[in-house]
Amino acid sequence: MTVGNRAALAAVAAGAAALAVATVVAVVSRPAGSVGTEQAAALASPTAASTGPVVAVAPGALPDDAEPVRPVRLRIPAIEVTARVDPVGVDERTQEFDVPPSVDEIGWYRYGPGLAAESGSVVIAGHVDSAEQGKGAFYRLRELAPGDTVTATGDDGTERTYRVVAREEYDKTKIPLERYFARDGRPRLTLITCGGPFDAEARRYRDNIVVTASPV
Amino acid sequence: MQFAYLRRAAAGGAVAALTFVGAGIATATPAYAADSKVSVVHGIPDTPVDVYVNGEKTLENFEPGDVAGPLDLPEGQYDLALTRPGEPIGEAILTADDAEVPGGANISIAAHLDADGEPTITPFVNDTARVDAGKARLIVRHTAAAPAVDVRAGGSPVFEGLTNPNEAKGDVDAGSVSADVVLAGTDTVVIGPADLNLSEGTATIVYAIGSAEAENLAVVAQTIDGLHSAPSGVPSGTGGQADTGLGTWWYALAGAGILLLVAGGARAAVVRSGRR
Repeated sequence: MTVGNRAALAAVAAGAAALAVATVVAVVSRPAGSVGTEQAAALASPTAASTGPVVAVAPGALPDDAEPVRPVRLRIPAIEVTARVDPVGVDERTQEFDVPPSVDEIGWYRYGPGLAAESGSVVIAGHVDSAEQGKGAFYRLRELAPGDTVTATGDDGTERTYRVVAREEYDKTKIPLERYFARDGRPRLTLITCGGPFDAEARRYRDNIVVTASPV
Repeated sequence: MQFAYLRRAAAGGAVAALTFVGAGIATATPAYAADSKVSVVHGIPDTPVDVYVNGEKTLENFEPGDVAGPLDLPEGQYDLALTRPGEPIGEAILTADDAEVPGGANISIAAHLDADGEPTITPFVNDTARVDAGKARLIVRHTAAAPAVDVRAGGSPVFEGLTNPNEAKGDVDAGSVSADVVLAGTDTVVIGPADLNLSEGTATIVYAIGSAEAENLAVVAQTIDGLHSAPSGVPSGTGGQADTGLGTWWYALAGAGILLLVAGGARAAVVRSGRR
């Protein structure tokens, strides 16, 4: 066997090894994908309003300021998360969800339902990570699976436990936000963060990870 | 006997015709003419009434300051009549014939005083377009026997020169504001101040009712919810540590692998053929 032949075979072996490693990495790093999509959609379908033949008559009083029960703390044992929850709204300029700047804190959408609401989606979003602060409270949100529990403590001091029914991954341009910010449908808790491939130049993730949980 | 039979047959025919028309509407509905939501607002002081729609008593002893509905009504023309409670429709104190209800709209019919203090009925079409996330819609309607007014929020005018029977509206930041009503261009407060809690994603409709002369100006309010919009997005990561895409190093590795395979294979083939 010549030296040239040996080198050629070594090159072939090295090439095969490199391709094998690349394949393994590609398979392992594939996103976990979505589970429970149908269950999540079912929770969001509007509940039939009971309309009797009688015309409802009510005093035309000015609306009162009924404050919803806001979540102040969220605990997710499966991914070892305990985080403070701040009430947040939308960014004035972009109309985007105003996720708290500190990655250790997560934000509750204060315009939507509170924990005591009898219908609709309680939305809490948090950072997966940030360039300056590193990993965020929701770094491991994508690891949640149906059956995992989430406990939210309200400002009324009551703990409410939810069970995960779905984890979905959506391209940010295709996510049905109307459904996750709905105020009708069954009462549910919706957790949102970023995920999927990262665009290093735009410093943004392509996808949103959405976890839907039902009250236990 | 024969006559009775004929009548029954005619009635049967009518039912059949109605069913047929009903089926036609049911199949044609998606394209147009969805039912309208109709609310009734009572803004005439000291005058409880019964409300008749197309000759049928729909509301009994409807009190001033109350809001009824919303009722789902198909598109069409309706005859409205208001009587003193218990009195026959023939002695109605206020009627509106052929009131037009368009399809798929949200309407408020207000019984109120005109600028001169005479009872009247005014239909308003409610703006139920979605509001931006974080916003609430405020609609103010002048339905009182009073001159032009300004509406102020937090002391500064938001709607100016509003006259009976008109409305002014705007989308504002959701939250609570202290509002009052002054005679247009003056600081003479005629209503309020009152705290207005404008919930996000709702329209709050405030009617000024009553009479300035009788010193019974007041407000009636109606709220329409479900007008909210979702935020435009949820940006929640700038670090890239959770990147699940394949980095440039992966493409370099895969590329190098292919190059080595091809080059090595070619070289081996050349060496082998050279030996032959």
